[in-house]
This record gives sequence, C-alpha cells and structure tokens, in this order.
Amino acid sequence: MQTPALASSAQPRLTRGVRLQTDSKTGNSVLLFPEGVLELNETAQEILNRCDGRTVSEIIQALAEEYDIDPKMLAIDVEETLADLKRRKLIELT
Amino acid sequence: MIAPRPYALLAEITYRCPLHCPYCSNPIANGNLEGRAPVTPGKTGSQELAPPYNAELSTDEWKRVIREAADLGILQIGFSGGEPLARRDLPDLIRAAREANLYSNLITSGIGLDDDRLCALRDAGLDSIQLSFQSDNTNLADEIAGTRAHQHKLDVAAKIRAAGIPLSLNFVIHRRNIDRLPQMIDLAESLHAERVELANVQFYGWAFLNRAALLPTREQVVRAREIATVAKARLAGKIDIFYVLPDYYESRPKPCLSGWGQRYLTVNPIGEVLPCPTASSAIPDLRFENVRARDLDWIWRESESFNRFRGTEWMPEPCQSCPQREIDFGGCRCQAALLTGNAANTDPVCELSPNRALVDEVLRDLDSSTPKAFGADWTYRVNPKTVLTPV
Repeated sequence: MQTPALASSAQPRLTRGVRLQTDSKTGNSVLLFPEGVLELNETAQEILNRCDGRTVSEIIQALAEEYDIDPKMLAIDVEETLADLKRRKLIELT
Repeated sequence: MIAPRPYALLAEITYRCPLHCPYCSNPIANGNLEGRAPVTPGKTGSQELAPPYNAELSTDEWKRVIREAADLGILQIGFSGGEPLARRDLPDLIRAAREANLYSNLITSGIGLDDDRLCALRDAGLDSIQLSFQSDNTNLADEIAGTRAHQHKLDVAAKIRAAGIPLSLNFVIHRRNIDRLPQMIDLAESLHAERVELANVQFYGWAFLNRAALLPTREQVVRAREIATVAKARLAGKIDIFYVLPDYYESRPKPCLSGWGQRYLTVNPIGEVLPCPTASSAIPDLRFENVRARDLDWIWRESESFNRFRGTEWMPEPCQSCPQREIDFGGCRCQAALLTGNAANTDPVCELSPNRALVDEVLRDLDSSTPKAFGADWTYRVNPKTVLTPV
C-alpha cells in the first residue's frame, strides 16, 4: 500500500465546507460534505475529534496516552486514516 | 417491507425560474392528477402547465417538512427548483435546516444572488452552493438558457468564492455544448471550483420533449468520455470531477437513486413527496402522497408510492434472476415508464431488456439524420402560469 508520508509536524484540519457531527440516529460521528455523508469508524472519529490545531505527532501522542497503546503502532493507523481523509479532500494539512 | 433510512432530501421549493433551459428535468405537466397527459418527444399537448405557484408550500409548511426530515434520519438537504432564490424566504428555510442539523446545499442558476443575499444565506448557515452553467461561451450559454445569464453567473461564482462558501459547478452536457467540454473544464478551473459535475443530459421532463435536439452522437460521446477521463486524472486532488454517463449509449442501466425508496426523497413545490424528482410526471399511474395530508415518516415507510419499487420483489425478468439486480436495481423506473409505458419494466437501456430496441431506434434515427434534422430546434422551458388569488 502506497500512502504518502505525512509530516509529523503537519496540522490536519477539516476542509472548508466539511462538517463533523453526531448522527442522532446512531450516536456515531459522521462527516458531511457537498453531496456526501461518510460514517466514521471509531479510529477516524477519535482522530478527527483531535484535529483542532494539534500536529499529527501530538494527536498520536494524545491517543497513545489515552488508550495506553504504543505510539509507534498507533502512528500507522493514524497516518493511514489521515492519508485516506486527505485523498478524499475531507481534511487539509497545514 | 422494512424501510431503510433516508439520507438526503431534495427540496424543490419552487418551479419558477428565470432560465428556460430546454433540458430542464422539471415536469412539463404536473400537479393535477387527472389532468396529466402522457408526453411524447417532439409533441406538445394542451395540459403541460406546472402547478400555479400560489399552490407552493408556505414557509411554515417547509419548516415542518425540514424538521420531519431530520427526525427521519436525513442528514443532507438540497434546495432546488426551479430557481430556489425565487423564494424570498430561502434564508429562513436554510436556517431551519441548520437548526435541524442538516447539511444544506443550494442548487442554483445564480440569478438573483447579490452580495446581500449571499451574506444572508451564509449567515443562515448555508454549507455549499452548486452553480449551474450552460457553457463556457457567453453566446452559446445564453442561447441555451434562453436569457442573458452567463456573465452574471461568472460574477456570482467570484462572489461565492469571496464569501468562503464551497463551490460546485454543474454543466448539463448535450449535443450543442458537448464539443466544448475542454473549455468548460478550463472554466471550472479558472473559477476555482472544488467540484464539477459534467452531467450528460438525462431524458426526463423538458429534456425528454427535446430529445431529438439534445441527444449527442456516438462520436461526440466517445470523445467526451476520453476528455473527462484525462481531466479527472489531471485535476485529481484539486477539483473533483463527476462525469454522469449518457445512459442511452451504455449497455447496462444506471443504479438510479441507489434504489427506489432507499436513500433519497424529494418534496416538490406543491408538497408531493416523490421517490424521484421526475416520478410525478413520468409515472402518471402512481399516486403520490402530500405533506399537507401526511407526515414524512408515514409517507417514507408506508406509502404505496415508496413501496411499489422498493427492494427486488417487484422486479420482472431479466432483472429478477440477474446477478446485477442489487447493483443497478433494474435501472430507472421513470425511464422504463417513459419509454415502455410501464414503470415496472426493466430499464430499456439495459442490453438484456426485451425493450432495448426502443433505445437503439432513437440512436439509429440520430445517426441517419439529415443535417437539418441534426440541428433540430428545441422548445424552451416555460414557467408555470401565475394564478392570482382573489383578495
């Protein structure tokens, strides 16, 4: 699988026009954007809830501490998820 | 049958429109169940007026529909028409959608959108705008729209960008403009759109009436597909390009609506709730419920119109035993009704349909057309008649 490496100092943010909200029917998080709805899995949900100006490495660190997981293991998941969201233009990296 | 959860509501808040595009999917006859006349391409009848606009739902009725839609699980609302800006209460409706946590998209020609209205819509919580264009070329665009609109649309696109609202462009592609696809893509790029729909015309409403003038040739379609494919790859990551296929030239039908009564519903200006925006005119024998009489939840779950073609049980052969039946859902019910006279038939676009000859015949007639017939005139869309209520 080829995913472009994400700079650990990049700050992921939702792209303008993309809304993150709780689906009242399921209680899960969804991303809403023009003509589309993306139902988020738990990983994506936890990551996006922390895309508030923090860098990729800060997000990994925060999740690792909260869930007591090895940051190196977690980094793969986080980077894959962010790369996927970026490919769909749902997040931007600044 | 257990109804699935709907995701998106198309709110057609008015049929009034300052443009007269000959491919409009609005009904050319509607509103009067007894008065609906079947439509044949190239033939106009006497009962083709859309409902008078004083029969439109009121602001309060729309607000109730929006709340009921959110309760039903709907997450997206598209405000469409006609031209939705023709209703002065649009900001109120968008605010109601925002309060109900719906993501709102305005589907507009841009006519009537000045700085003040744009601010009002943004402040009300509008999430995105889809702006229609008829061509990249002013003269051609204005000819297609039947009015001078193109220059204004360019200004509006810039204003939308300046207001910070995400912008999608929509081009309906047909015989008269399909050869300008590269220039239209260039226009989208220069206007910094985030998303572009290159939508080959689908033949419903006015487009069905004007099919002979709008249907592109096979040669045009092949070239357009190549251009769209190349542009999609070139602009990946910059502009999302959605190319809507010209289904008469396909061998399998489009997965219309992701299945009837599965994800989408439409409420038209007079409150009829439709599984598909073109259903009321294309399928005259189906009775549609009205939000003035029933709540949306009941209509979605229980009504005959939503259940008639839900799932796969209604399917005839060759759909019933087809491995593709949950991929294309038998295609489009409206197209089956318009071309075969029976909405329950397999979409005749499908190469397995016993009625495919009906589509081939249309294509063959086009190929053998004389230059004169090739440039067949179209009938411009007209607005519904205004009926004044006595004071």
